[in-house]
Amino acid sequence: MIANLLNGDNVVFTGVNIILAWGVYLSLMTGTLTFAMAAFMAIGAYVAGVLTVNFGWPLAPAALAGMAACFFGGLMVGFPALRVRGLLLMLVTTGVTFSVQVGIENIEYVGGVQGIRGLSGTTPAIVAGSVFVIGGLLWILSHSPLQRIFDAAREDESVAASLGINIVFVRVAGFAVGAALAGYAGVLWGHYVFFIAPQNFGILESVFFALFVVLGGVNNMWGPVFGAVIITLVPEIAREFGSGFAEYRQLFFFGVLVVLLLFRSQGVLSFRTISLKAPIKGLRPVTSVSEERADD
Amino acid sequence: MSAELAQQIVNGLVVGGMYALIALGFTLVFGLLDKLNFAHGEVVTLAGFIAIFSVNMGLSIWLTIPVVIILTGAVGIIIELLSFRRFTSKEGHSVSALSSFALGIVILEMVRLQWGATPVQLDIPKSIYISGTVLFGAPIPWIKFAIFSISIFLMIALHLVMSRTKIGRSIRAVAEEPTSARLLGINTTLVTQYVFVIVSAMAGVAGLLIAMQNGIVTSDVGFTFALKGIAVMAIGGMGDMRGAIVAGLLVGVLEGIAFSIGWGGISDVIVWFLMILVLLIRPAGILGGGRQAETRV
Amino acid sequence: MTDSGPETNPPGTLDGTGKPVLEIDSLTKAFGGIQAIDGVSLTVNDGEILGIVGPNGAGKTVLINMVSGFYRPTSGSIRFNGQKIDGLPLHKVGRLGIARTFQNIRLFNRMTALENVLTAIKQHTTHPILAALAFAPSRQGIDEAMELLDLMGLTARANQGAGELPYGDARRLEIARALATKPKLLLLDEPAAGMNEQETGELIEDIRKVRNRLDAIALIEHDMTLIRALSDRIIAMNYGKIVAEGSSKEVLSHPEVVEAYLGTDEEEDG
Repeated sequence: MIANLLNGDNVVFTGVNIILAWGVYLSLMTGTLTFAMAAFMAIGAYVAGVLTVNFGWPLAPAALAGMAACFFGGLMVGFPALRVRGLLLMLVTTGVTFSVQVGIENIEYVGGVQGIRGLSGTTPAIVAGSVFVIGGLLWILSHSPLQRIFDAAREDESVAASLGINIVFVRVAGFAVGAALAGYAGVLWGHYVFFIAPQNFGILESVFFALFVVLGGVNNMWGPVFGAVIITLVPEIAREFGSGFAEYRQLFFFGVLVVLLLFRSQGVLSFRTISLKAPIKGLRPVTSVSEERADD
Repeated sequence: MSAELAQQIVNGLVVGGMYALIALGFTLVFGLLDKLNFAHGEVVTLAGFIAIFSVNMGLSIWLTIPVVIILTGAVGIIIELLSFRRFTSKEGHSVSALSSFALGIVILEMVRLQWGATPVQLDIPKSIYISGTVLFGAPIPWIKFAIFSISIFLMIALHLVMSRTKIGRSIRAVAEEPTSARLLGINTTLVTQYVFVIVSAMAGVAGLLIAMQNGIVTSDVGFTFALKGIAVMAIGGMGDMRGAIVAGLLVGVLEGIAFSIGWGGISDVIVWFLMILVLLIRPAGILGGGRQAETRV
Repeated sequence: MTDSGPETNPPGTLDGTGKPVLEIDSLTKAFGGIQAIDGVSLTVNDGEILGIVGPNGAGKTVLINMVSGFYRPTSGSIRFNGQKIDGLPLHKVGRLGIARTFQNIRLFNRMTALENVLTAIKQHTTHPILAALAFAPSRQGIDEAMELLDLMGLTARANQGAGELPYGDARRLEIARALATKPKLLLLDEPAAGMNEQETGELIEDIRKVRNRLDAIALIEHDMTLIRALSDRIIAMNYGKIVAEGSSKEVLSHPEVVEAYLGTDEEEDG
């Protein structure tokens, strides 16, 4: 059964979802749950798709252009939007997903609702390599001082700000880099499936990407990986049980999710990795911190 | 006023009333818990199918109203229990949002397993869509007036409950000052449950009205209306009940006008664009009564 | 720094220029209809520890919240080293050199003690992009943070979660974190709250140890032992106004202060 799962499709789709989950994670790490990931995925896929299909660019520079477009898109949405907090931002990002989707539907140049065809070039190896590179960068980040700044911004934004941390800057940076990752995921996905259309990038998809992270856990980079892998592969595994189960797949999956959240609301992998340990011998070793002060 | 425009504005008011009913649900929950209830839309869908079931069982369409209210109210209790009560931590907003979203899909999938994903006919006499009156040269069937009246009646009823009854006053107290309310002996858990019963029942009636207006029920109706409801809530000001009503009617009429001038295709974008604009320029909503989620950073 | 009695200041600490570090001019703050701060003017001078006393609700914490940028004043002005700081965003106030602790301790509970201090290291907070690249060469930051933990006697707690620390250590950690921002002015909001006599004594020593790293300290406190031991000058507040100002002896025996606040306190302290 495991051997059946290891095919090109699964590697690409799982890898793309991991990158998307990391994008959501980057933004959530600074305290912002975003529902705009599908929009940025669309922007990345369309910008790169137009460049490779209509202008004959190779995939790599087209991917960079797609990411850059998303990064600047993220900045443009981020600076005004991140001044508002929490739920309002969820709404603004929902609105962004909607507007981008309907916007693309109305651009004749990229085929409107018909979408564009002829995107190709992504191989499972490229996706796997990208996951390793991005994962490596995130691992470095998680052991750098910036990770602590992100964590502080998430845990208590006004205290963090009074320590001299520019919260708006940190948030916008997290959001824009997250957007760029979503764009890259869009490029890879689009150039694997050959044909992209606006209906691939709706609000449902955006919420789904956020689910990867919440299911896996927000406090370390492995939670999103776990969530993305499980959510991508469970339907495939379910398929192995035969078609009788297919009808109940969604019901079963989301039912399990509701129950899981009830008992592990922090996600399945919810420990926070210690970014740095004090260089002293004889101290009690600690690997993770999850406890809160009891009298808080 | 051209007959076309008049027709679209009346339609807009009728649809806007339903937007308002659904947005009131979002805004009440937000006012109380600072959270979004993404399962809200699927209550609307469920109500449509409960109506179909009851009518097929031989109940008159008017008698289905209490049935819908009771059943969707019960669903409200379940939503609160599974997706809101336990999530009180700092990340509770995100967790509740996604948990209620997942719960909504569970409800939707159950509906689909029972009735399928294709539109189902609501078996009521076709005559109610035909007999009516003429307004500004546009024929308007009585059913539209009935639907609009029920929406307005529910809003007035909600207003009376919130201002005149003990439950309503408790709800307002908890929304304004949860800690003080608890100190005054108000059972906040119970109050939260009441709110979920009220908003789900209202969404249920909205779902029934949508089914009556369209004559059919599809399983994606809740999703469409809930997204509109969320935008309406934000335009009206998060937590502002009067704002939700005004914004609902406004959005409905705006959509109607958009359709009459041939912009129907992008009416959704207009609404979402309006929402983003309001959130950025006037985060307390068009009437300014919403909660400003602004902190100093 | 040699040992000294609780009533006198250790020698060599009043080496400041005496110039005003913080100047507050006719400051007011209203919440709805309630006047929390009503025309307060005061200065904190270089080299001194200013004690602020007053009953609950006198507006002391509101005052600190305005100086540190958490609240915007309704009217009046706050100047720090001559620069107007009211209305500045929080992080700019922090970067100019005002750090604070909180009455209800606000540490990052999911981080270790060391990480709490590291988060506040000035070179990282002011250049977050460089902070991402400081993966390998952040040695200097660690040394700085360890030195601060050492100063507050928390070396052995470095790898412990901040949420698990005992009360007194959590208070000390908050001070260490504040110092990591390289502040010129430190605002302490009831640092001895919830401490017993012995812990308060230790805290007094700790605050003395850190004072020569700072230009000035402003201290809100109910505990008279701490106020008497540390303050060079005291301001007493009530109903959002300053009712007395001067040396600890003068203020603490001022009739209005005694009446408003100290009446019941005198016997146990005196």
